[in-house]
Amino acid sequence: MTHYAVATLEELWSNDRLMERRLSHGQATQNDAEILATDVRDDALVEACERAMSEARVQCVAPHRRIVVEATRESVATIVVLRDADCSLVTDPAHFARDSALLQSIAAIPVEASRVDEALPLVWRNGSAAVLLHEAIGHPLEHAHAAIAWPSWLDVDVPLAMRRASFRDVPMQRMERLVASQRGASLEVPRQRIDVLLVDGGAYEPLTETVTLHIAAADLVDGANAQRLPPFTLAKTRGEIARALAGAEGEPIRYPGVICSREGQELYVPSFAPLMLTVFA
Amino acid sequence: MIYRKRGRSVRWENGTLIRVSENGWAREEGDFFECGPLRDDSVAERGAFAMAEDLPPRAWTFDPEIRVERRIVTHGIAEHEYGEARWTEETHRVHIALTRGALRVLIDREEDVAPIADALARATHDEREPPPRLRLAPNVTAALLPLLFDVAPPNVRLVQSAGAIDAYGNRVGETSVHFYRPSYRVRPVRAPFDLRLECDVTEIERDRPLAVALLGPIRSLVLPVLIRDGARVYPSRVRLHRIDAVSSERIWYPYGAGSFGAELML
Repeated sequence: MTHYAVATLEELWSNDRLMERRLSHGQATQNDAEILATDVRDDALVEACERAMSEARVQCVAPHRRIVVEATRESVATIVVLRDADCSLVTDPAHFARDSALLQSIAAIPVEASRVDEALPLVWRNGSAAVLLHEAIGHPLEHAHAAIAWPSWLDVDVPLAMRRASFRDVPMQRMERLVASQRGASLEVPRQRIDVLLVDGGAYEPLTETVTLHIAAADLVDGANAQRLPPFTLAKTRGEIARALAGAEGEPIRYPGVICSREGQELYVPSFAPLMLTVFA
Repeated sequence: MIYRKRGRSVRWENGTLIRVSENGWAREEGDFFECGPLRDDSVAERGAFAMAEDLPPRAWTFDPEIRVERRIVTHGIAEHEYGEARWTEETHRVHIALTRGALRVLIDREEDVAPIADALARATHDEREPPPRLRLAPNVTAALLPLLFDVAPPNVRLVQSAGAIDAYGNRVGETSVHFYRPSYRVRPVRAPFDLRLECDVTEIERDRPLAVALLGPIRSLVLPVLIRDGARVYPSRVRLHRIDAVSSERIWYPYGAGSFGAELML
């Protein structure tokens, strides 16, 4: 028999005004293939949420933000979803200042280029390759798909664990984190390329093994000139992605955040990847 | 004014039986929305838990190439309260996803399982052009209706059906504006209830090929469907331009705030 207790507090702020506030709490007891879930309150968990929310409200100030605090008997976690113009990212109080500045710098540049040439090499900056690998390696692992060949220099640490979004949900095998690193790879950044800066979301279709990524911000680069591209969608099979990985450089970079949705259950997955290059031509 | 909901549900999800009891409240004040659990346990209705034994879905036998990707059956009872208004709702939902190769069909009504699974078992995988004259099955139409709200094609009328109770305890009428609250945790949204499509022509030519199921989401009024044309079954994409006839026999589906599917002829 397993027991799970959780409290969640969520606030949505828009133009510095509190627009929505949601408290949720409950407990679930699982016995083999049966779960009894009730909204029983654990006062200590609710108080932990209130404390963390008070701190986050002060520490993570932005005009448009969604703050979500989740307290279980094991941990208290706070995430903050920031929005600026049409861009958004997920962060936490420890990385708020850096990620907020990153979002502002990305959102400040208007779209100039009109056409995305998918044949151009893609350089995945800000750890954004972690989202590509989350879809192309993490989800196939969750679906127990057969392994495929990846470059020998690529190492991906992606442990799975039974996780659930709320006390009402059935736990599933989900990613706990994804840390991609490189050993002995090289990277020559092409003069003409697309620099991927921010990814808005992605999906893995298990029937066709197709990864779809919505690129929220990217630059079309030619030497020293860069033009902001309109948002675009990249759809490739995981095999095509594995073959397209052409190099990497440096240590894993923390991507601001990945909220992973599967079977309607949204979970935060910390994600890291070095600067990487893909060539799909 | 405060909305209160006291609910019990039993859900059979891919082999796990989950009983949920939950009481919640919500309030709106101008633009502000707030919700949380009720700190009482006054609900007397435990009927949903009694349903648990009957809940596991029927054990269908499918073609060996068909895989059951998802099978969820839910039965719930909810007591709602908003101001002076009190109403009770009992719901039963089925959701099944069947796959064969790269094809996936989504089914939200138990009676649709057998005919759709039969078509899926016989389907080729190569996408073809749709035939010029076609019927859409009620399950396909029902998913389409909420998307037609502002763009109903000529010849047909999209109508809200009267009878349901909206987010604020108001009885839904055919022409009045209403709000839908899918959960106490969600701010009510303006939505048409129990949509149905009406057309002066109700006679359907039964010999036309039939789009038996959706194969994915409808985008820009293009429907990815599985078409049964005599002995042939194949995937196709149908763009909706004009509807020639709508049957007067309707089946309710749980899409949006409710949608009545009816066989229609393109």
